[in-house]
Amino acid sequence: MAYKPQYGPGSTTPAENRRKYMDPKAKLAKVRDATDEDVVLIMGHRAPGSAYPSAHPPLAEAGEPDCPIRKIVAPTEGAKAGDRVRYIQFADSMYNGPSQPYLRSYLEAYRFRGVDPGTLSGRQIIECRERDLEAYAKDLINTELFDPALTGIRGATVHGHSLRLAEDGMMFDMLQRCILDQKDGVVKYVKNQIGEPLDREVKVGKPMDDKWLKAHTTIYHSLVGTPYRDDAEAIEYIQRIHSLRTKYGFMPKE
Amino acid sequence: MTDATYPQVRVAPARLLNPETVEQLLNLLAAIEGIRKIVLKGQSIPAEVPYGPARGKPNPHPMHRTITVLGDEVELQTHVGIIDMELVTDEALPAIREACDTVFTRFPYSVQEGRFMKTQATVSDYAKYGPNADEILLGLVDPKSRRGPVILQGSG
Repeated sequence: MAYKPQYGPGSTTPAENRRKYMDPKAKLAKVRDATDEDVVLIMGHRAPGSAYPSAHPPLAEAGEPDCPIRKIVAPTEGAKAGDRVRYIQFADSMYNGPSQPYLRSYLEAYRFRGVDPGTLSGRQIIECRERDLEAYAKDLINTELFDPALTGIRGATVHGHSLRLAEDGMMFDMLQRCILDQKDGVVKYVKNQIGEPLDREVKVGKPMDDKWLKAHTTIYHSLVGTPYRDDAEAIEYIQRIHSLRTKYGFMPKE
Repeated sequence: MTDATYPQVRVAPARLLNPETVEQLLNLLAAIEGIRKIVLKGQSIPAEVPYGPARGKPNPHPMHRTITVLGDEVELQTHVGIIDMELVTDEALPAIREACDTVFTRFPYSVQEGRFMKTQATVSDYAKYGPNADEILLGLVDPKSRRGPVILQGSG
């Protein structure tokens, strides 16, 4: 029988969403239209429209050594062109944010090629070749993995994921990179991800409503969402892992 | 230092507060007889980016604002999330709850009683204020901060 990945345990909405987001065959719903230029502006690695700076000559000119692995693995477009490695970093609110660091790393590893995801408690960074990154970042922003109010694109000073939300529903950001326009209800980035002011505002759409967030979140939360203890299957799994690794610490002999 | 133990309360709203809300609440609280100290706590919002690639650049932030409380100006340096108070007696508590009910209409809040600010000098306080520190200053500001507390004159 062919192996079929299960992706993760759980019988509640967050667990189902986690499985869906991780499964590369599941298509992510597109919910907003950030353009290529918007993504480049928010990331702030190069001026929109400028050429990609390179870290090494294109592979076609580089004269690669005779290597069996290089014959098996096709380079990504960015690697082929010799692009620099650049990053985008996200902070996701625990108040029913649609994504979270561990899930991001898993899904990026499943869905994207040539990426180096870095997982931390309150932020998640993804590093890869610049032109690949721009395509991946656009996917991460335009699909249901992103909420303008509860997901922050933050290269530095990321603190805020575990804090109470502001009165207008936005996640705390010391550098206030994005603001909620009270007139049209649209979230606009006024600074790039490291906090440098942008020449023009970048609109990333309206914050999603509570019902949508609850249906699309991948975070358990006992106050505003689905409590972890309500997920019997996930609890059983985590207890089994905990039990096995504890017993293994004593090197049991059968 | 006196031996008296003053009751302390903590007001914790479910959201981080806008400066306008803080202003409205403080004006109600400051008018209540029997509150000795009020400490606003929250996430710091510095005037300049303190670290990272944009270090040293100005950090305009809508939550970093100067508000007016009973005619005195108070510069908010934090996105306020907690209001701690020291009372003369418990009698001020119903008025505090009433003020909170008036202001927090769109989200819930909690009022806790307990110990939330220091009541005797620490080593840092001793280094800053010396052996005869005014007890009323303790716990109001970080002794390492160059800024002092705002003393409301009640002139407004």
